[in-house]
Amino acid sequence: MAFNSKFIPQAFVVPNARKLSEKERSEVNHYRHLRERFHEGPYYSVLDTSSSSAKKGSAARTNFDPFHGMPSYSGRYQKKRRTLPKIANIGREYETRYFPRELWPTIMPNFRPNASIDGFHAQTALSGMKRGFEDDEDEEDDDAAKRRATGADEDEGEGDADEGELLEGDEEAEEEIVDDDFEDDEDDMGGDYNAEQYFDGGDDEFGDDGFGDGGGGGDEDTY
Amino acid sequence: MTMSQYAAELCALLIEDQFGDLFARIFTTLQRYERLPLPRLKFYSRLTERQLHHGLAAMIQHHLVFHFTSLEDGNTYYAANPQAAYYLIRSGKIIHLVESRLGEYAARVMETILYLGHVPIKHLETLPDLRYLAPPAAANGVVKEEEPGEEQEPQELDMEAGKETNGANGDHAEEVLQKPAPLHSTLKALASHGYIIRVKDAHFQSPEDNYIEAHKAASNRSDIKMLKGKRLTEELLQKTEEILRERTDGDLSEGLMVNGLPRGVKRKIANGVPESASKWRQTDHNGTNGNHADDDEENDWSEDEDGLDNIPMEPSLVLRVNYEKLDVALRNARFVDMARDDAAPATAEVYETLLRRIEYVTKRCRDTTEIPREGEEGEQFSIPIETYKIVSDVDPHLDLSGCMGPLNPASASVNRRGKRPLENGVNGDNHYDDNEEEDNADDDDDVSRAYEINQHLQLLEQAPHNLASHVRLSDGIKWRVGFRGLARKLRHLELERLVEMRYGDVALRVLRVLHAKGKLDEKRLQEISLLPFKDLRQTLASMQAGGFVDLQEVPKDAQRQPSKTIFLWYFDPDRVCSSVLEDTYKAMSRTLQRIKFERNLRRDFLDKTERSDVKGNEERWLSEGELEQLQRWRNMEAILLGVVSRLDDMVAVFRDF
Repeated sequence: MAFNSKFIPQAFVVPNARKLSEKERSEVNHYRHLRERFHEGPYYSVLDTSSSSAKKGSAARTNFDPFHGMPSYSGRYQKKRRTLPKIANIGREYETRYFPRELWPTIMPNFRPNASIDGFHAQTALSGMKRGFEDDEDEEDDDAAKRRATGADEDEGEGDADEGELLEGDEEAEEEIVDDDFEDDEDDMGGDYNAEQYFDGGDDEFGDDGFGDGGGGGDEDTY
Repeated sequence: MTMSQYAAELCALLIEDQFGDLFARIFTTLQRYERLPLPRLKFYSRLTERQLHHGLAAMIQHHLVFHFTSLEDGNTYYAANPQAAYYLIRSGKIIHLVESRLGEYAARVMETILYLGHVPIKHLETLPDLRYLAPPAAANGVVKEEEPGEEQEPQELDMEAGKETNGANGDHAEEVLQKPAPLHSTLKALASHGYIIRVKDAHFQSPEDNYIEAHKAASNRSDIKMLKGKRLTEELLQKTEEILRERTDGDLSEGLMVNGLPRGVKRKIANGVPESASKWRQTDHNGTNGNHADDDEENDWSEDEDGLDNIPMEPSLVLRVNYEKLDVALRNARFVDMARDDAAPATAEVYETLLRRIEYVTKRCRDTTEIPREGEEGEQFSIPIETYKIVSDVDPHLDLSGCMGPLNPASASVNRRGKRPLENGVNGDNHYDDNEEEDNADDDDDVSRAYEINQHLQLLEQAPHNLASHVRLSDGIKWRVGFRGLARKLRHLELERLVEMRYGDVALRVLRVLHAKGKLDEKRLQEISLLPFKDLRQTLASMQAGGFVDLQEVPKDAQRQPSKTIFLWYFDPDRVCSSVLEDTYKAMSRTLQRIKFERNLRRDFLDKTERSDVKGNEERWLSEGELEQLQRWRNMEAILLGVVSRLDDMVAVFRDF
């Protein structure tokens, strides 16, 4: 009996929070209003939108909800969430000097790496001169600018950045490069069949975690 | 700044709540691995290059991420800015504060600056939201009702607008809405209060990087290189601080202050008391006479400012919100609340005026980044403020004598004055005579008011809180505030409140005894606290389990036998404060997670309310039940957010003040 009495539900006194005062309510409303503006704004972005329009084989597609996710007529009113913050062309000018140089192409769509903009530019260029491979980079940046229309510049820039990593002799990075190049190639080819990714298609856990023995893409075939 | 687990979790949740989970992912990765160059960040966060580029650019725009380009290897490193992330939760408080001080339009400007992160003035000029006084989307009827309140701002800042709106009754409202808003004078008001500052390059780098750079710059100076030994280290430290301050200080208030007062503030105080202000309003609308009085008064003070006012601010100036200064303002509001708790409203009002004066010259809550340990912190007094300044700032219609005991018999006129606001209330025309009288009896009044204000402040000087203290100089009494002691007091009060709530009043008594006497063994403690042993032991045990008190063993011999050991109870406020702070972070993040969970439960419904056709005209598209459900959800979210904001008050006490 004594044993049982422990399990008889007791009447708990649950403390209640005070009611919101007028001031607090106004503060909360201001907070929510600002949050609402952020949500409506160009920067709010989520990682996956589970819908049938997601790319085949992607994680978003797997999380697709067949009951509520089917496209319907009223779906066109549904709030669309972006997966990428909209940076350019939102009627906002960026103070370029406050951003690091590698993000300049992002915030200025018509950015030309060689055109001198202001004093700050000269300074970074100067500091960049200390890097051993500065010349190569400039050339590649040039190329990138020319090929901007084709959208192939991303890979260039990345390869370049990874070179910097390579110079530091980081093994993980090496593996990473190999992996990512495949991924991006796939993007470019429009999701074509890729033998390298046959076994780890969809989840790139193996490659990214560094479980592989550092041999790079070649070894992945043996999984 | 290294973050604890819960603080980091909280920051990530806040960012997710406001900006979505892409930002949160980047932020968490940066927090977990500290500073990273782009390729590493890409590797750890498992995001694509594009996502990172866009995300980082937007996060830099909002100051959520620091970046630093090294001169040695040319790489750019990114680091999380936990402070900016945390202050997202305080945005509501900040906007409310600005609204209550500078009016609705200023609050809107402030919100826009918060929304944009940092922004050049020329961009603010182009925004349609800020072009007119009334929000463009607001329904007309509502706007009209609020009109008098909103007009405050232009009256203060813009003479022309002020005159027109004075005459404006309901039918003129349309015209007023179309009138360009005084953006520049509002910005000046915000800047002179110190709420917004100029953005500098150093604001985008982490404090550590700034320090290292300043240190390098200092050690490269030729005059420093000459020095040696101890002098070198001292000079170096000093120069570093100097350079650092120079680089990070974006203060705009200098040159915008008029007679030591920020712009746009005086009128606010004159209208600060709701009753008298609203009475004046009424006469304005009723008769034409009222207008005259208002205009005259405006001329009194705004003439000298007019010249300055016409100069717009530099359009290329880039602005951001100054959280440090806003903390000062919030702290002062907290002290005023404390004064209001145990003094008359008039006393609190006088105190608020004093604090306001001090706030204008206080840049930040404290000079050190960390709160010093208990007992190691010396008192720093604010600058002293002369009584006559408070007299001139305090609302002239404030009833100062009503709540004080009878003064010396010479103050018969004071007693009469004391009743005046009431008389005013009976008949709007009366204040004419009063105004004239005021002029005659001006000198007399000033002296007695100064005396009364001193009395009020002396009341606040008393224990237990010692909210103010005076210095007697040859030219009269000056008042100042010992902020460090008060901040400590706030922390203790907060701890005592917690202990009383959790363990009852017995525990509170024990805690106070321990705090006052230091380490005590059980017997002594029992003698001092006059509690039966049984109660005492129970309380101590439960408080120890909660981490509020602790036990120290002092063995008498090497064997450490319990019978030959002295057990001393003690209370260490520093340790308790830091653990309570962590608990608070945890509670905040749990509450935010709860909101997320609750939202998920109603996801389908809330998605529906967010549909582009439903949003904005909910009444039309939602059924009655759904409307009720929406209202219920909003109320619940408000309660949860309110809880988070209360917890944030605690964080402010334990960390920021």
